[in-house]
Amino acid sequence: MQTPEGRFEPTRFEELTITVGFRCHSACKFCIVREGMNDFRGVPLERFASLAADNARHRRYRRVVLTGGEVTLEPALFDYLAVARTGGFEHVRLQTNGRRLRDAQFARRLMEAGVDEFFVSLHGPDAATQDLVSEREGSFDEAWAGMCNLAAMGACLMTNTVMTSLNADRLADIVERVAPLRPVRMEFWYYLPMEDVEDRRDLLVPMAELAPRLRTALDRCVAHGIEAVVKYVPRCLLGEHGDRLDNAQPDVVIAEDFYEHYPKFSCLWEARCEHSEHCLGLHHPYVHKYGWEQDLLVPQPRTRPWRAPTWGPAAPVDRPGRRHLPVHPDERAEGHAPWRALVEGVAERHGARLAEVLLQRRACVFRFEIGDGGVDVVLTARSENGPALVRTASFDVHYRNPSGADREACIALVRDAARAIATRDPGGMRLEARKGLVGAEARRSAAR
Amino acid sequence: MDPFDDDLVEAGPDDRYFDYCLEPYEPRRPWRGKLRAESLLWAALRIADEREWLEAPLRAVSTAVGRDLVVWGLKWDGRRIGLELYFYDPRKEDAAATMTAVGRVLEPWMKLEPQVRESIPYFMASLEPSADAVRAGRLEAMRLYLAGERGHAGRSYRLDASGFELENTYRFFDPRRDIEDVLALARASVFVDYGDRRVLAQVLPPELMACRKVCIAKKRRADGVYFSGIDVEALAWFLRRHAWPGTLVEIVLRHRTRFEHVWFDVGVDVRTDATSGRIEFPKSSFYGTM
Ligand code: SF4
Repeated sequence: MQTPEGRFEPTRFEELTITVGFRCHSACKFCIVREGMNDFRGVPLERFASLAADNARHRRYRRVVLTGGEVTLEPALFDYLAVARTGGFEHVRLQTNGRRLRDAQFARRLMEAGVDEFFVSLHGPDAATQDLVSEREGSFDEAWAGMCNLAAMGACLMTNTVMTSLNADRLADIVERVAPLRPVRMEFWYYLPMEDVEDRRDLLVPMAELAPRLRTALDRCVAHGIEAVVKYVPRCLLGEHGDRLDNAQPDVVIAEDFYEHYPKFSCLWEARCEHSEHCLGLHHPYVHKYGWEQDLLVPQPRTRPWRAPTWGPAAPVDRPGRRHLPVHPDERAEGHAPWRALVEGVAERHGARLAEVLLQRRACVFRFEIGDGGVDVVLTARSENGPALVRTASFDVHYRNPSGADREACIALVRDAARAIATRDPGGMRLEARKGLVGAEARRSAAR
Repeated sequence: MDPFDDDLVEAGPDDRYFDYCLEPYEPRRPWRGKLRAESLLWAALRIADEREWLEAPLRAVSTAVGRDLVVWGLKWDGRRIGLELYFYDPRKEDAAATMTAVGRVLEPWMKLEPQVRESIPYFMASLEPSADAVRAGRLEAMRLYLAGERGHAGRSYRLDASGFELENTYRFFDPRRDIEDVLALARASVFVDYGDRRVLAQVLPPELMACRKVCIAKKRRADGVYFSGIDVEALAWFLRRHAWPGTLVEIVLRHRTRFEHVWFDVGVDVRTDATSGRIEFPKSSFYGTM
């Protein structure tokens, strides 16, 4: 959500996406590559190697996702995969249009090189629909052959469907078509315009039309025992499938200005709705085209007071095929434990409670409750001269939102937490200073 | 060198930050080495060819009332840029902030013709100085603002030779926590036809609803909506949306990182055009302090 306090961007703290390049042999009508990012060269291999080496030391990311453009067109793909193997990642995911996987030998080589999750784009149940979307005749047949190869090899197959006006009425058909291949997961993403914010291409489909069709598709997934995930659709429109909404995205190594194009989201009922910390509402291009949908969207009355979001909660562990299983407490805490340890015991010393640890790409927030109020202690990446209460080996320490009658108690707690963090911070705990991780060097010099 | 670089005023260590209701706020970011919002006032006056007429009286008023305590509003009707200055003194503690005192300060350039009875409990007053007013040597009108219920509301009266006339009513809301009230008051309109479901998003666009405070005004010939506490990106979006002079938009964009600490305030008059049925914005405005 977008508020004056900041922008709530759900981040999955465990995944790193490496954009290998933006070359592609399809031309999907909705794709960001055709929408203005096509001067991006990709993350240089050396840059990835240094990120992988860092991860091997600090084990921040459990999964690396290699994406494009079309990643299988990258001549150095197997070099990237070799680097990925050295990075201490548990999973290597390939995000692909699947067309080159029709070559079974190539698909097998990828598996042998360490790819254990294939995230394949599937925008239609048949050639007529998908080729219209991809603007390449034969692309569906090639991708279908690729998916069949993966299924035959017993690979972990996941599909990704971008929902637009071109395929909104075929969502259930897509499920039926792919179900025999036993995909581990099907993801359905509502289209995000990056550049065509006025939607001159008419790809945005009204939620009133989309939602019932999407719910039917999700019903079909349930019937087939396929895990389903939805992104960028208001949760209140998903009916009983509300918990399939997962708007989190991995950390993305991509050109800095990618995020300038990234749509913002809002919902008029944000402060009223129990789900607003996880649901994004509607993106702004949608609101401009179809309105706020204030009658269609139905807030779930809140049981907790609403606070303007800044970073929002971190998304839970992503385990394809096991989303519906309860997450073991150890697994949920994984990654958080070293962060929690920074302030272990502080709350107790002040008769307070550590209510939440929000771990995000650019910040770690310790939310303390004390008396009738509370205070957030916030860590951001260490800077040399930015404002900070205290600078520790890894962080700038700040606080915000002190509330409640006893300000003295709040201040004492903040001081104690800052001291504890400064003492315990071993150095090398990573938060990103900025969003993107590569800059101008990754752009092609030609104008867009 | 860009001629507009002369208009840029660097933020100082003692700057204070106030919104257009003169409520103090914490700047969004550290402000050292950045620009004061008033840079945009000077640039806009230069674009309007009014700077040479207005700079001296504006500086005199600012000195008399106090640095950062004069709110300026720039208005755009698609043809010309206009200026309004707002003076707040809710408790009437500061003699310099009465309209009688401001009138005395302005006297060398333009005589403030209406006389105010200072016993009127106004919490704010405004004037519209212009090059024409300086050339004529007089200001014929002013506005007084009186509080409504619980301080979240107000009324404005225009005062000129013919006396007082009620002009507008204002009501302030938290755009998220008070959303039902915002929607109810916005829709209670004779000027805007909310029949089409997209109209609400035109009046309350998402880019501006991410603000800190929203104000719904009822005026004589249009409704007014004000969004207080938007960042410089949203300001640039707003100026472009309302087709402000390109030079001004360019200045905002070129220096966006040097305005990133400021919360800006903006507003529009809005109504449905009776012939075309389309929403139109006869006036847009943005605000800062000097
Ligand atoms: S009311 Fe808004 S925040 Fe709540 S679920 Fe619906 S879209 Fe999301």
